Amino acid sequence: MRISLLFIVLFFVLSSCTEVELLPAESIDVIKKIESYKGDKAVILNIWALWCVPCVEEFPMIVELGKQNNELEVVFVSADFEEQYEDVKIFLNKQGVKPFSYIKKEKDEAFIEGINSKWSGSLPFTVVFSKKSGSIVDSWEGKEPESRFEIAVNIALNS
Amino acid sequence: MKKIISVFIFLSILSGMELEIGSTMPKKKLELNDIEGNKVTLSDIKGENGTLIIFSCNTCPWVIKWEDRYLDIANKYIEKGIGMVAINSNVARFENVDSIEEMKKHSDKMNYNFTYAQDTNAELAYAFGATKTPHVYLFNRKNELVYRGAIDDNARSAKKVDEPFLKNALDQLLVNKQIKKTTSKAIGCSIKFN
Repeated sequence: MRISLLFIVLFFVLSSCTEVELLPAESIDVIKKIESYKGDKAVILNIWALWCVPCVEEFPMIVELGKQNNELEVVFVSADFEEQYEDVKIFLNKQGVKPFSYIKKEKDEAFIEGINSKWSGSLPFTVVFSKKSGSIVDSWEGKEPESRFEIAVNIALNS
Repeated sequence: MKKIISVFIFLSILSGMELEIGSTMPKKKLELNDIEGNKVTLSDIKGENGTLIIFSCNTCPWVIKWEDRYLDIANKYIEKGIGMVAINSNVARFENVDSIEEMKKHSDKMNYNFTYAQDTNAELAYAFGATKTPHVYLFNRKNELVYRGAIDDNARSAKKVDEPFLKNALDQLLVNKQIKKTTSKAIGCSIKFN
C-alpha cells in the first residue's frame, strides 16, 4: 500500500516537473495534428511570439481555457526566430504548457498560407476548430477578450 | 446564435479587406505629421515613377530585422524616381515608444533618408487594410497599387534572401514590365490601433 502510494506521489511529482517538448514544425504538421482531434475535441490554434506583447498578454488566458475543458485542445505555435528556441521553452514551461508545443520552421509565406490563407501574417493569430467536423468556427488577428474566445469555443464544442 | 455567427462573418470580412492590386491610392491628401514637425501627404511623397509606402514602427523585431533593407531600397530607388515613406500607425503607442520624439531618435539612429511620419488616427492603415509592420505597398506613377506585402522572404538575413519580392517589383515597375508577383505575405507585429 505504502509503495503504491509512493509511486502515485512520484508519478505526479515527475509529471508536474516534465518540461514541454518544443517541436519545430511546418504548417502541414500543425494542421495534421489539429485534424487528429476531429470528433474528439474542439481546438484553439494560437500563433504567437515572445516579442509580441499582445500575444504574451493573452497567453495565460488561453492556457486556462484549455485547462477548464477536457473537450478543448489548445495548440500553440511560436513564430519566434530559431535562436530564441530556449527562451520559448522557458516561457512555455512557466506558463505550464504541456506536453508539447510547436515552433515554426517554415518560410513565412508558405507557413501563413498553409495555416490559413485569410491570415495576413499579423500576430497573434487565432483559429477555433469545431469538435465534430473539424471545420473553422472563427479566426482573428490580434488580441481579443476572453469573451470572444468563449463564444467561439462554445460554438466549436457544439458543432 | 445566428446573430453571433453573422457578427463573426462580418468581422472576418472586415479583417480581410486589404487594398486590391490595381486600386487607386487612398487618402492621398490626408495630412500626416513627419518627424521634422511638418505636415506631409502621400501626394507630396509621390515620385515621378511611383510611390513606396511602408507601414512601420520603432520597436517591432521584424521591422528591426528588415530595416537594413529599407535603407538599401531607399538608396537604390529614390534616385530612380520612387517616392518613399515609412508610416507609423501604432496609435496606442504614440504616447510612448512610437511618439514623434522616439520616431525622430529612431530615424537618426538608423540613418533614414526618407520621410518617417505618424498616421495620427491610423486612417491610412485602415484605408489600406494594413495590419502589421512591416507592411509594404507600391504604387505606379498613376497611383495604382502594383505590389503589396513583404520586403523579401528572409527577415533574419539579407544575405539569405531567395526572393527579394519588393526589389523585383520595383525593377519590373521601372522598366514597365508586368509585375510577376504582386502580393506576398510575411509574419509581422500587429499594428496597435488602440
